[in-house]
Amino acid sequence: MINLVNVYRSFDGIKALDGLTLSVKKGGLLGILGPGGSGKSTLCKVACGLVKPDAGVVFVDDVDLIRADPKTVRRIQARCGVQFQNDALFEHMSVWANVAYPLQRLTDYSPGEIRAMAIERLATVGLAGFENQMPSQLSGGQRRRVALARACATEPEILICDDPTAGLDPVTSRHILDMIVGIRYQVRNTVVVVSSDTLGLLSIADRVALIWDGKLIAEDTPAVIWQDQRREVRRYLDDAKLPIRRPSWA
Amino acid sequence: MGLGAPARGVGRLFVLAAYEVGGVFLLLMQVVGRLFRLDFDRLEFRRCLLQMGYRSVSIIAATAFVIGIILVIQAFVFVDRYGLRSQLGWGSGFVTIRELGPVLFALMFSGRVGAYTAAELGTMQVTDQVDGLRCLAIDPIAYLVVPRFAAMVLSLVALTIIGNTIALFSASLVGQIMMDVDQHTFWASLLEMLTPWDYLTGVFKAAFFGGIIAVTSCHFGLIASAGAPGVGRAVNSSVVASAIAIFVVDFFSTFVLG
Repeated sequence: MINLVNVYRSFDGIKALDGLTLSVKKGGLLGILGPGGSGKSTLCKVACGLVKPDAGVVFVDDVDLIRADPKTVRRIQARCGVQFQNDALFEHMSVWANVAYPLQRLTDYSPGEIRAMAIERLATVGLAGFENQMPSQLSGGQRRRVALARACATEPEILICDDPTAGLDPVTSRHILDMIVGIRYQVRNTVVVVSSDTLGLLSIADRVALIWDGKLIAEDTPAVIWQDQRREVRRYLDDAKLPIRRPSWA
Repeated sequence: MGLGAPARGVGRLFVLAAYEVGGVFLLLMQVVGRLFRLDFDRLEFRRCLLQMGYRSVSIIAATAFVIGIILVIQAFVFVDRYGLRSQLGWGSGFVTIRELGPVLFALMFSGRVGAYTAAELGTMQVTDQVDGLRCLAIDPIAYLVVPRFAAMVLSLVALTIIGNTIALFSASLVGQIMMDVDQHTFWASLLEMLTPWDYLTGVFKAAFFGGIIAVTSCHFGLIASAGAPGVGRAVNSSVVASAIAIFVVDFFSTFVLG
């Protein structure tokens, strides 16, 4: 579904992606691990056409996002739901309006249906009753959940979550990851999740990619990654102070 | 130390200025293209018109009132020296309508609306809200920039007309109270000597200035990076660049428009 081939991208001379090749199968859940500044957020933005790589190709289905005309790129972007690292909630809109906005822009539902759907999405992420609050009135975890509800409001074919657990306590972090899994089974979409909650991500992903300095270090199932003894993989997993408890498949 | 370092500094400054001016022009081209296709968000346009136009009336009115008083006092010094008190209306009104009114209102507008726009778009940019719009298949230029451009041009033209009127009224009032020039004489000299073209010149300038403030503030807002300090820098650059551009365009438009 998503194919990145030999992608390079640098910002002010600093390499964010350095010849990265990665693919996500339709209906799969790919977890992306890596230390801060390793290029995970850039990868998310490249995958949905928000950032153009300096070199390489990016395919979503059979559409080349780099060479496609802006209209086609917008059409592809409309099929993606993206949860950004810092929520990117529209601060001048209420919680309800934030979730309803994609439905208003991208679907033909009536205002009544849109209202009902937005309320249902908020209930899915445990925010029933928060509809009329403003984003500034919410806690970090609640904002993250609104961002998740907005990202999956239109039940997009591709859901990209850029570090949805960043800065959250372990309990809220697990709740968010559980919600992503719940949404995935409900909508049956393709999901890409970047997370610093290594153990949580290893528990939910079908496949896991480890990125370091913009390069793909390893990509496999969580069980294989967990037992990978290569120095560069252990360096990350051991630095993550794991395991607090061993996952069932380990 | 030779001349190398200062020359390099000037060169760097020139390249940086050329880069920003180029960016502003590219954005202007995109705005004009969408404006001709009427490809912009009407709801956002109405919201901007209210925020930028209606809510700026009080500050422009206060500025205009003071400008009128200052200019009539300045004009009185000269008309009195040459025994032309009856021309006080023309003396103060001409410079208000053609030159100082549009420039000073534009500077006030830039400080209030331009700075706000740069901060608003800058915050949206550094918090990924602009990318969020792209993900909803919304063109940020059509949704954010074009409505602000149209609203700022229309608002500044309207505010300049309102401001000029208030400045002239305050000038005529002060002329009567402090300089003993009755209001009839003041308005008669103004209407007799001033042509419609003089009035239109000020209005055209206001439209140019509105466009400059809009495109400059949107440009600096949309290229903001590196969090809150980046937004601060965007606001600062936007206000400084707008002020410089207003003076440069005023210089050329004064020549072109006669």
